[in-house]
Amino acid sequence: MVSSRQLDHTLSALADPTRRAILRRLARGETRVTDVARPFAMSLAAVSKHVRVLERAGLVRRRRAGRDHLLSLEAEPLDDVARWIEAQRAFWTQRLAALDDMLQNAEQAQGTPPNANRRKR
Amino acid sequence: MNAEPVQVRVVKRFSASSERVFDAWLDPALIAQWMFGPKLREEEILRIAVNARVGDSFSFLVRRQDAEINHVGQYLEIERPRRLVFTWGIADSDSSRVTIDIRPLEAGCELTLTHELHRDWADYADRTEVGWTTMVGVLAELLDATG
Repeated sequence: MVSSRQLDHTLSALADPTRRAILRRLARGETRVTDVARPFAMSLAAVSKHVRVLERAGLVRRRRAGRDHLLSLEAEPLDDVARWIEAQRAFWTQRLAALDDMLQNAEQAQGTPPNANRRKR
Repeated sequence: MNAEPVQVRVVKRFSASSERVFDAWLDPALIAQWMFGPKLREEEILRIAVNARVGDSFSFLVRRQDAEINHVGQYLEIERPRRLVFTWGIADSDSSRVTIDIRPLEAGCELTLTHELHRDWADYADRTEVGWTTMVGVLAELLDATG
């Protein structure tokens, strides 16, 4: 399973409106850096900086075709976030069901709570 | 701010009292019966250590196949029988946080478990203009867009 540190990396890269807009653009398909930058009211250099953050987080892949730099979206880190959420939900749902079973069994078996004789906290 | 971190929330009703449900989270003998062990999955419990004081920590060590996995965390809030907050991670990573809220019902109680991916995220949310709800929405949108 992916580490939560990696997930942090993904999510801090996503925690910026410009970078999310870049990803939305790339979700439509591979795009030249200059075309990605065009809709933004900022310099190409500023947009490139955001692109580099996304590349480092593994959310964007860059390839060269002649003089063009082409960017595409890498969905894997996003899937990792979705998987983390699902794995935790499954983990806790199962545990809480087991907790319920344990408490009910203890009640039926003894007619008293399993921790009734333990010292109070 | 109407912001929500990336989180998992599970709600469950119990016929047992708030106190019994609460104590099951801090009693090593009980933890070994419901949170870990061969009843839940193929694993062996090696050690359940609990220092149930705010600022102190727990360690739940299990063996799965040949790997030893240590679930560790620190207690951030302990308010019996209403609320329990602790960090949760494997080994050195403590970057997620679990909050247990227990609400008494006429018979039994209702437990709400919230597992947040990163306890420092509140800081991010303050720094960014958009709330986390928006961000989770964007995440879902991007996942849809990429199939």
